[in-house]
Amino acid sequence: MMYYSKPFKTFLNVITVLFCVLYLFPIYLILTNSFKSRSQMYENMVALPKSLSLQYYMSALEKMNFFTSLKNSLILTVVSITVIVIFASMTAWMFVRSNNKLSVILFDLLVATMLIPFQTIMMPLMQEMNWFGFTLGIKMTDTIPGLIFMYLGFGAGMGVFLYHGFVSSIPVSLEEAATIDGCNTWKTFWQIVFPMLKPTTMTVIILDVIWIWNDYLLPSLTLKSTANRTIPISTAKFFGQYTISWNEAMAALVVTIIPVVIFYLACQKYIVEGVAAGAVKG
Amino acid sequence: MKKNKVIALTLIATMITGLCLTGCGAKGAAAKGGGKITIFQSKTEIMTDLNQLAKDYQAETGVEVEVWETTGDSYYSDLKTGLSTQAGATLFSLQPGAESREMADYLADLSDLSFVKKIGSGMADEIDGKVVGIPYTVEGFGLVYNKDKVDASKITTTADLISYLESSDAENALGLSQEDYFLIAHILNAPFAVQQDPDGYLQSVLNGEVRMNDSKAFQEFAQIMEAIRANCKNPVDITYDNNCGDFATGKTAMIHQGNWCTGMFADYDVTFDMSLAPVPVEGNKKLSVSVPIAWYVNTDASEEDQKLAKDFLEWLYTSETGKSYMMDKFNFIPVVEGMENNNLDPINQAVSEAVISGNTIPWVMSDWPAGIVTTDLSPITKEFFTTDMTGAELVDKLNDAFVAAK
Amino acid sequence: MKIGKGWYALFTAPLMIIFMIVVVIPFVIGIGYSFFEWDGLAKHAATFVGFSNYIDVFKDQQFLNATVRTTIFTLISVVTVNLLGIIFALIVTTKLRVRNVARTMLFMPYLIGGLILGYIWKSVFQEFFLSIEWGNWLTDPVKSIIAMIVVTTWQLAGYVMIVYITGIMAIPADVLEAAQVDGANYMQTLFKVKFPMLMPSFTICLFLSLSNCFKIYDVNISLTGVGPNYQSEMFSLNIYNEIFSLSNFGYGQAKAIIFFLIIAVITLIQVSITKKREVAL
Repeated sequence: MMYYSKPFKTFLNVITVLFCVLYLFPIYLILTNSFKSRSQMYENMVALPKSLSLQYYMSALEKMNFFTSLKNSLILTVVSITVIVIFASMTAWMFVRSNNKLSVILFDLLVATMLIPFQTIMMPLMQEMNWFGFTLGIKMTDTIPGLIFMYLGFGAGMGVFLYHGFVSSIPVSLEEAATIDGCNTWKTFWQIVFPMLKPTTMTVIILDVIWIWNDYLLPSLTLKSTANRTIPISTAKFFGQYTISWNEAMAALVVTIIPVVIFYLACQKYIVEGVAAGAVKG
Repeated sequence: MKKNKVIALTLIATMITGLCLTGCGAKGAAAKGGGKITIFQSKTEIMTDLNQLAKDYQAETGVEVEVWETTGDSYYSDLKTGLSTQAGATLFSLQPGAESREMADYLADLSDLSFVKKIGSGMADEIDGKVVGIPYTVEGFGLVYNKDKVDASKITTTADLISYLESSDAENALGLSQEDYFLIAHILNAPFAVQQDPDGYLQSVLNGEVRMNDSKAFQEFAQIMEAIRANCKNPVDITYDNNCGDFATGKTAMIHQGNWCTGMFADYDVTFDMSLAPVPVEGNKKLSVSVPIAWYVNTDASEEDQKLAKDFLEWLYTSETGKSYMMDKFNFIPVVEGMENNNLDPINQAVSEAVISGNTIPWVMSDWPAGIVTTDLSPITKEFFTTDMTGAELVDKLNDAFVAAK
Repeated sequence: MKIGKGWYALFTAPLMIIFMIVVVIPFVIGIGYSFFEWDGLAKHAATFVGFSNYIDVFKDQQFLNATVRTTIFTLISVVTVNLLGIIFALIVTTKLRVRNVARTMLFMPYLIGGLILGYIWKSVFQEFFLSIEWGNWLTDPVKSIIAMIVVTTWQLAGYVMIVYITGIMAIPADVLEAAQVDGANYMQTLFKVKFPMLMPSFTICLFLSLSNCFKIYDVNISLTGVGPNYQSEMFSLNIYNEIFSLSNFGYGQAKAIIFFLIIAVITLIQVSITKKREVAL
């Protein structure tokens, strides 16, 4: 970025920061109102809270049984993402490299199903999953493994789609060299190809983590037991049909997104690494 | 080549069985019908206390009770999906009326519960002569007014109400708010409920035999709606939260709400006395009071589980602990003989008194075709409040929606 | 490269089997339901009605209006989301001092899911705008759609930004160096070098934003709802109400299938256009 003069750079910095602040205004509203009582919120939604008392946070954490929910959400998210990354990358790579009719059809099918609105398959899906339980004795509902299985199915489309795009852009020569050196397909993939897919892997992880972490509808249909609940389900009780317990709901939302923000901060380093490496050379 | 195939197939098989096994492993822990009561209900406000009650019940009787989570908005679709896929809760809630009739095949006969005869008249949900629904409480709505600013005894006819709306200095004289039920369902209940035979009248409307515009009550309703549009803050600009806030802080002297909103006032320092007055269409002097939701037992649950759920209801409505939860924690208005709630706030008190004196009109809206409020009545009413449609046209359009939804 | 059939099966079969079980089979069952008149309750009989549900869909003016509305909304949103997304991605991949902070902040809206954001934005478009005398945007037929576009863009721009960042960092540094040596200025580098190399990212982002906008539900229900005279109702909300509020399960499924076909055609056109450009360049 050698095109910019110094004052222009400062100007850009300031503009960017200002824009970000404006951009985050709704988030400011969530944060500030998580400290307000209903009457304070009514008086002025935009003002800073009168006190920073944590009472709504405490009651929200208690009512949502926070630590059990956090544990469940963590397990669910981490395991689901891991299997999605493993299977989606393998499948996408194979689709690109094999380049046969079947691959094209399956890939199109995967992509097309990303367009299905979830509400239209939720009833048949639940029927099928209960059938697994009653007829085959495989309990898919109200278990976290069962839900992970479903997330793998729903995450397949986007995972394969993202990997597919990236694999197409990497040259096949490295893999051929590895094969000549005696690597079998399995080894070639995990030792040569998968490491090269890292940027896409990070993208898939980031996008899927947020999806699964915040998802309400699917878990609400399957996870019923107190012991299995995830965070979004535990916060449902703050939303009555009309009476929403704003302060607790917002406090719950803040504590819910803190883990994701931390996670994102940790992850983005990896994304930046590549950029920085390129920038140093330039 | 062949070897590879074998390896691949074995791996796949292992993986699938692996997944199956993880499923099976979990199965042992929570088998269906394991002598546990599962509760799924839509009143999220009592959720925290209900969870505590579940613990107390387990301590007293040793039977485990599990309360499932929901949001007010997604409850009905979740319930339906659950029931339809044989994965419903043992004990669940519904609105008596259109909802419970739709679900009738799933509702167990509760006539043999000991306290059924003590339930206030007409409050238990009966289908084909069998009691299937046990009421939570009663709720009533009407004109919630500030006693310092409004003299309700002077508002006994539609003309009185309209001249009050026109005379009061503030543009906030009568507040409706934008949420579907608060915007149209509750206020439209009044002209239906004051008919000679409300249920029969509704059927005639649905069948297209009568037009609502021919009824005096609906003509008055149309005038009231026009007066609200002309004199009050536009309801589509106001949320329920602000509607209640305006009232609690004295900015609005009167809102069309019910006893549920007293929970909203708790966070404010309300400095005035309030009460509840009827909507005076055709000189109506009665509050719209009915059972908003009731308990139902799922016929798809095992016999054993159904028995457990019935025992639970028995306990809830007859034991000291159960009753004290209903009265003191949930703050319900008594619907069963032998229960008493001495800490009712003025609005709840007004509803309770109306019940005792029989001074009530029914919730005809519970029998409106399911879903019609959200999908049709509300969009039509919002159109009324954002255009210059006349009151008569509004009633006409609402009428068309009823006929179409039948 | 030659790959054995066994390896092919090993790499693809597990995911495809699970995908079939979880997504395809329920979808096919759903198609089956669209030929029945049914209220969605297992104990109530379903009546086979053939194609009559599909015929009804084309007579349903409210649904057709929602179709047009959703399409317009989607086309505009896809442009704004991607425009903002690519600008964000370009900003945060420069050497600006604030880039790290900016990257986090711009992505923040996407981290917060669910309905609560819709409610927050509702108070902005309603109370805040009324207080500064801009009027209530959510009850106006055009402005309510603009409001939805704003919220959708706000939420999704950070999401596509992530994909664009990945694409930008995959551009080899020597290519950019070469462009600089050849004396290309910033705009020339951007349009002649970076954008062509970002074509795969464009394909992905356009597709993701297209499908997300078409399926818009959360923002619709929490921000505007159906609105006066159904003026703000989108596809998904219409279908959801048909199935769950009005209990017309079969008819709702028929709508959903038609909805699916419409999006599928549009997105396939989009993918094939951008894919072609990828090859050509």
